[in-house]
Amino acid sequence: MTPTITVMKRELRSYFLSPIAYVIGAVFLSFVGYLFFQMLFIEFGRAAQARMDLYFYLLPIAFLFLAPALTMRLWAEERKLGTLELLLTFPVKTTPLIFGKFFAGVVFIAILLLLTLPYPITLASLGNLAWGPVIGGYLGALLLASSFLALGLFTSSITRDQIISLILSIVALAVFYLMGSGLLQYLFSARVVAVLTELSPFTHFNSIARGVIDIGDLIYYVVFCGFFLFANSVMIEIKKWQG
Amino acid sequence: MIQVQNLVKQYGQVTALDRVSFEVPSGQVLGFLGPNGAGKTTTMKILTGFLYPTSGEVTIDGLDVLESSLEVRRRVGYLPENNPLYGDMRVDDYLRFVAEIRGIPKSQTEGALDKVTHTCGLGGVIKKSIIELSKGYRQRVGLAQAMIHEPEILILDEPTSGLDPNQIVEIRDLIRSLGVDRTVILSTHYLQEVEATCDNIMIVARGRLVAEGTAPELIARMPAGPICAQFVGDPDGIRHQLGEAFHGAQIDRVPMPGDEENGLASFRIHVRQEVDRDAREAIFDLAKGNGWKLLELEREQATLEDVFRKFTTSETPVPVGSEVVAA
Repeated sequence: MTPTITVMKRELRSYFLSPIAYVIGAVFLSFVGYLFFQMLFIEFGRAAQARMDLYFYLLPIAFLFLAPALTMRLWAEERKLGTLELLLTFPVKTTPLIFGKFFAGVVFIAILLLLTLPYPITLASLGNLAWGPVIGGYLGALLLASSFLALGLFTSSITRDQIISLILSIVALAVFYLMGSGLLQYLFSARVVAVLTELSPFTHFNSIARGVIDIGDLIYYVVFCGFFLFANSVMIEIKKWQG
Repeated sequence: MIQVQNLVKQYGQVTALDRVSFEVPSGQVLGFLGPNGAGKTTTMKILTGFLYPTSGEVTIDGLDVLESSLEVRRRVGYLPENNPLYGDMRVDDYLRFVAEIRGIPKSQTEGALDKVTHTCGLGGVIKKSIIELSKGYRQRVGLAQAMIHEPEILILDEPTSGLDPNQIVEIRDLIRSLGVDRTVILSTHYLQEVEATCDNIMIVARGRLVAEGTAPELIARMPAGPICAQFVGDPDGIRHQLGEAFHGAQIDRVPMPGDEENGLASFRIHVRQEVDRDAREAIFDLAKGNGWKLLELEREQATLEDVFRKFTTSETPVPVGSEVVAA
């Protein structure tokens, strides 16, 4: 447990010491702020309903870019600078290192999500906000972001080039987005589409964000994260053999 | 005690290490010499568990580096090539991070930190960001990182590369003091460095161990050096007589300052083979017989540099143990 926390603390510190965190945070929060005011003055004004649907509808798209930007350097940079050699020769197994980096990203995203809490609170003070979907939305958002981070961390372990990691994970996430979007029904049979839809993290987010917290969806995210974190450890082992 | 047996490492088609075997007894300071790409760094990466060998066996204190990787890593302090550091951290934060991840108990961390700060002379920069430090100080931070857990074994990949001569002397002294009570393996391009710090030297070339021994032992394996002699007398006559006495030897006139004015002649004689007796005896007898006054007679000593060049430039590496043919 302790090495996980040690690595997580170092990565979080490194996020906040570098301008990346602030740029990503600022872009994300202004995007969310824009969405919120869009809802407040247009949607909310018209429908006279306190809702955050649009916010939770667009949040996955924001994460599709944000999560890869947060994970791209986590392994690639260590490999490039050679600090990986230190990390992998400390008397620590690989798993805590991976978890430490993963949870640093999760905590960072959780902080960003916390910073958007004033929006639903404002909404609640103005109208009658249904908290169910909002709580579901936040939980779903954190799970969705975590699954993206796990995937991004894996792509970062493949290469020593951050940009390649960034592109690989954005492309992979875009494919998952398509799988969940229903657009594929023009290409594949209904049965295939049903399976592909079920495999996409975006699909499971939608049901949680509706306020329905199903144990199956939670298990899905745990398995999805577990799969990519495991793939990450396999990749590190492979590179030890290859050199 | 480090034991390496038939170590092979292949990167795809390229063989970086080809059946390397050696032993390092506890408490020894071993210097790895060899041209770039010879396999020094690869060996160190395998010893520290960063890379897996293709085949062969490596044990440290009887522990296999693959099977008991964590235990081995606990006993080893490692300064990787190019001394990678987290530049965005402060020196003390970085060393605390290393202490923490190495599992040094919280209560002992500050003590360990003070100790390495003192040993590595980091007192003045401890609160500075690593990125602001000069190369010499960064190297000390790297060394401090490698020894914060007081390892029995230190593996240092080019600990003095890129430093200025003063810094090199400082780091060298530090390594020598560290080597008093622990095993140290270091690699370097500086030959004086191994002479100054190492108990034993290994020369690697093209992935193979080509020579091993102490500096004097390695030098002794070199062919006898040329003989320098200075006479009073006629240069051409002396050269002729020397040529008669040493058949096939290369005899060079050495233009020493003052020779012309004082009627002196200096030569360097590359004797091909000394069968029965030392060539210097023959030269002395020759001078005596011809009535030349002999002012100087000296054999040039081979240096570690000659050893290095001999073992690392030949097309086919000479396997360890084979006799060096006298020239």
